[in-house]
Order: sequence, then structure tokens, then C-alpha cells
Amino acid sequence: MIVKDAVCPFCGCLCDDIEVEVEGGRVVAVTNACELGTTKFMGEKRMKNPILRDGNQWKEITCDEAVRYAADMLLDAERPLLYGWSGTHGEAQCVGVHMAELVRGVIDNTSSVCHGPSILAIQEVGHPGCTLGVVKNRADLVIYWGSNPIDAHPRHLSRYTRYAEGFFLENAFRDRKVIVVDVRRTETAEIADEFVQIKPGGDYAVLSALRAIVQGKTETIPRTVAGVTREQLVRVANLCKSAKFGAVYFGLGLTMTRGKYKNIRNAIELVSELSRHTKFTISAMRGHYNVYGSNEVNTWMTGYPFGIDFSRGIAFYNPGETTAVDILARKECDAALIVGSDPAAHFPRRCLEHLSEIPVVQLDPYPNATTAFCNVQIPVAVTGIDAEGTAYRMDGVPIRTRKVLSSDYLSDREVLLQMYTLMQEAKGQ
Amino acid sequence: MKVTLVMKPATKSFIPIEAESIVPKNFLAGTDLSVWRGNRELRLDEVFSISVEGDADRVEDVEVVLSGDTSRLKRVGEYMDGGKITILGGIGMHCGNFMSDGTIEVHGNADGWLGREMAGGTIICRGDAADYCASGYRGGRKGMTGGTVEVFGRAGDFLAESIAAGTVIVHGDAGDMAGAEMHGGTLVVHGNCSRPAANMKSGSCYVFGTAQGMLPTFRKVGTIQHEGRTLIQFTGDIANRGKGNLFVKDYKYLD
Ligand code: SF4
Repeated sequence: MIVKDAVCPFCGCLCDDIEVEVEGGRVVAVTNACELGTTKFMGEKRMKNPILRDGNQWKEITCDEAVRYAADMLLDAERPLLYGWSGTHGEAQCVGVHMAELVRGVIDNTSSVCHGPSILAIQEVGHPGCTLGVVKNRADLVIYWGSNPIDAHPRHLSRYTRYAEGFFLENAFRDRKVIVVDVRRTETAEIADEFVQIKPGGDYAVLSALRAIVQGKTETIPRTVAGVTREQLVRVANLCKSAKFGAVYFGLGLTMTRGKYKNIRNAIELVSELSRHTKFTISAMRGHYNVYGSNEVNTWMTGYPFGIDFSRGIAFYNPGETTAVDILARKECDAALIVGSDPAAHFPRRCLEHLSEIPVVQLDPYPNATTAFCNVQIPVAVTGIDAEGTAYRMDGVPIRTRKVLSSDYLSDREVLLQMYTLMQEAKGQ
Repeated sequence: MKVTLVMKPATKSFIPIEAESIVPKNFLAGTDLSVWRGNRELRLDEVFSISVEGDADRVEDVEVVLSGDTSRLKRVGEYMDGGKITILGGIGMHCGNFMSDGTIEVHGNADGWLGREMAGGTIICRGDAADYCASGYRGGRKGMTGGTVEVFGRAGDFLAESIAAGTVIVHGDAGDMAGAEMHGGTLVVHGNCSRPAANMKSGSCYVFGTAQGMLPTFRKVGTIQHEGRTLIQFTGDIANRGKGNLFVKDYKYLD
């Protein structure tokens, strides 16, 4: 069977033109996806049953037992942490927020370790953004700043920028200029018209200098700024001002480096400055396929996009204090539920030390680095493969992922709903 | 009236305790107060040994003295409007949030957000202050709007972020982005710091040491004499059409 227009549940591009061939309950071929997407669709070695740590061994348990374990763990905790959420659908994320509120825990998603600072900047100065379709059809200048789409979002270039047709561009390949700004010459830099190489930690200074140059205050700028010559900065500023429609896409190279959200704020303010001369927009290259969705769901349910602490019965938000890495590093939680992410693969050692000291339950289809820290792991269906649900593309467009095959696994939402029901009963609701 | 609160050793010692009830005014009505450890509400006497000497009917006559391991005690002195709090050790995050009057003295180190969005009064920290000392809140346009914060040790990153009025003095070094987005008030760093006054609109920032990673968008005006020191005066942040004053003893661009 061939399933057309499947949605790739890997990166924030959420490509919705994938063809998947299914035979005997398995994906046997994938067309249109990049290598990352294909690997995800073809993924194997899924865990069969829920497992419980029993001394130095794993014991298989039923799903009901696993769900009961998780519910009791969360109900007993004084400050449970519910973390992850970027690798699951919005409907499951909704249940997660209800659960966090019911047990008065902290709910945080993976944006606190990726584009959380971008959101902080947006909260300070707003977000002049647009959809990917607008960029594809109109942008004659695209800037990738601290992002390397060839590696991380392989089809971004072919679907929306460098290699894409544009409705309002006569010859998109010739008319669309690409600038890459980075601390090293990435593969994406090789296909750029202009490459700006910045010394590590120098993004903020370069952005400030560009803002001043766009305002015509070039004389104040030193001869070089963070390794970039004033001449090149003036050239870049002129390219931007003379574009009809410019789009900046920034990645973790800007968000997670020195200055963090202030870098993004500065980039947004540069875009605002350029919009006094022409049309300019800016957007984040979101990583996990539904990390944007976790921000959306959290925001519409709690008012805040990530790092929400319900300890006192109301939502309190303060990244740096209520975010998973900070809480774990300071040992400020006493139980953790992990859904749709693999913190042990990315978090600092201090966080993992605390994870190893508290009860942890994980919902994930595959054994991963976090499995080693779990007391219980519950395998679930993979959204976009054997479960469906809503995900948000990196530009905020909601896309319904499709189920391309059926399996016996429950979806994240179904498992979480079972937990939530037990917790409601325990609370007499 | 002197209220002494000695923190009892806790079983779940790492879960932070939120204690915004610890403000001098509340003790005028007794000590029947509560604090929160995670999602559990606890009576004040479950967490502290309490003793009260003398009495008072004005907040100015109340002093609260905290001792024991108070480094994970958050929000002490929040909305404080008079009296004095003395903390003999370190203090957790958000000490003196929104305070408008009175004095808080911390003999040890203070964790993040010391004196966040403070409007008046005095905070003295004898040790180091962590990130966001005397700063604003996430997404907020105005940070500190009045009062004085004096830190005798070092301060972390984002010191006095978005300060609109009031005075912040740090006797040691400060971290990155001291005085970011400042649009009023005075910030004085006796030691070194990096990228001071980024995106400033107005106000005065003094760095008596070296400004590392000096931003390229400050225009040099000349030199001035200030309290016996020769300082270089800049104006900016011109990227933000700012007209603030930045005075530094020395500076280094990241060039
Ligand atoms: S670019 Fe991203 S969403 Fe598109 S196919 Fe590749 S991994 Fe999947």
C-alpha cells in the first residue's frame, strides 16, 4: 500500500509531501523525504512491552501496571517534573498540561534547551515573522544565521529558499540571494552568495553594528567587529536594504551562544530596523517536529510557552528557575515523567545525576539514553507512523500528521489519558 | 520587635521553599504564617524554630533575622514595605522582589533575581549575587524603578537588566551584559564586566575596571574625572538610538 501526502515527523519543516510504501505492517520505502526523515519512517528496534526496573534487571509489566506506577509516582511527589513533549502530538501535550496542573508539578518542554531564548526575545520585542510559503514565493534575500539547514533541516533549502521556485520571482535561483552567517564555514555556507564568518561569541556585536549601519551611523563602527570587516558589514547592510523581501532564519548558533535571548532580540530589532526600508521577517529554525506545538499548547492552556510551575496551583513561569535543566541541576524535583524526548542524550551530567536519584517514567517507542535512568518505560505508537495527531510546523502552521500503518501500540495521548484518569480518581475528581 | 527564624534541617532538603510570607509587616499580627515546599503548604513553625522578642505596632520596628541553611528559601521579603530583614547566611532566589521600602541585609550570597523589579528600599548583599540581580522579569519592559542594591562581592550576568531608576552598586566584578536594556537609573561596577549597557536607551553606567567585549555601537565622547578616577565617556547604544552614558576606565572590543 502506498500512502500519499504523509507528514514527516522528524524536523520542524514537517514536510507534508512524503510517500510511504507499507507492506506487512512495515514501512518498506519512502519517497520525497530526506535521509533524516527516511530513517525515522523506517525506524525499527522498537520496545515491545512496558518494562520495570527490578534491581539490576528489567522486568516486563502490563501497560496497566506501568500506568498505575506513573500515576502513583506523580501523586506522591512534592515537585514532579513533566518534561519533553516536542516529539509527540498536540493532543497528548494537552493531557500533559492537565496532569501537571492536577498534581501541581512543573511542565517543561525541550524548547528550554533549544529555542527557549528565542521565545524570551519574542516576549520582549515581538516577532515579525511569516509562513514558509510567503518566503518561498516572495523572498529575494534569505539569511541563515547560526543555522546549517543542509545538516539539520535538509529540505528547507529545496522547498522554501535556495532551490525553490517562487511565484513572485521570475528566476528564483538567480534572483534569490543567500547569506550565511556562522562561526565556521558550514556546508550551507558553501552554497551562499555571501558568507560572514564571526568570531565565537561575537554575534551580538555584529547585529548591533548592522543596526547602526542600517541607520547610517557607519562612522562609529570600528574597522572590524568580531572578525568581520566594516566593509563586509556595509555590503551586507546594503544587500538587505536593497532586497524587496528579506527573511532571516536563525538557529541554535545564535540562540544558544553567549548572550542567548539578547542575540535574538538584537536580530529581531535589526529586522525591525530593516523594515523601515523594505520588507523583512525573521523566524527560528525549530528542531523537533512538534516543539513549536508544545509552545502553542502550553501557551493557550497556561499563558506560558514552557517552564511552567504549578506548585502553588497557578502557573508561574521563569526560565532559568522553572526549566528542566535548572531544576534537575539544583535537585529541585522528586520525580520525573519524560514524554517524547531523550534528556539523557543532551543534558549536563549534574542533571543526569539527579535523574538517577529520583523515580523516572518515560513514554518512548524506542530504548534510548534516558532508558538507563528509568524505573518504568512505556513504549507507545510513533506519531506520524502508527498514531496521528496535530503538530505545528516551524512557522506556526498546524499540520495533521497521518497514520501510515496500524499497530497494537497505544498513542501517547491514550496512555497519558489513562494516567490522568487514575490521578483524577485519586484526587476525588 | 525582633523575630528570629532558625531553619530546621529538612528531610526533602533540595525542594525549594517559597516563603513570601516572611516580610516584617506580617509579624505584627503574629507568627501564624505558612510557607510552601513544592506543592505542600507547611506552617512556619514546621520549617523554622521561631522566637520573638519584644513587640511592635509599626512595621519600622520589626526586624526579622533568618539563620540556618536559607540558601533555598525563595521570595523572602517579597513586596516588603518597611522594617528590616537580616539573613545571616545565603538566600535563595527572588529575595526582595517588588520591595518598596525597608532594608534587607544578606550576609552570605544571594541567588538569582535579588531585588527583582524593586521599587524602593535598600538591599545589601555582603557576598556574591547570582544572575539577574536587580533586574526585571521575563518580557517586562521595566526592571528596577527605585531604591538601592549594593553587592560587596561579585554579580552574575544580566545585572540590573532593564533598570529604569534607582542605584545598583557592585564592588567586585559583574558578569555579561550588565545593564542590558537600561533606560534610567545608575549602575556602578567597581570591577570588570563584559558588554556593559547593551542596547541602553538612557541612564548612567560606570565600570571602574575593564569593559570586556565592548560593544561597537557606543560613540566615544571624551574623558571625565569621577571620584578621583579618569574615565572614558561613551554615549549610546546608538544601535537603539540610545542617549545613555557609559563611563569605563578601560575597554576592549572583540575585534
Ligand atoms: S526536511 Fe525535516 S521534515 Fe522534511 S523530510 Fe527531512 S527530516 Fe523530514
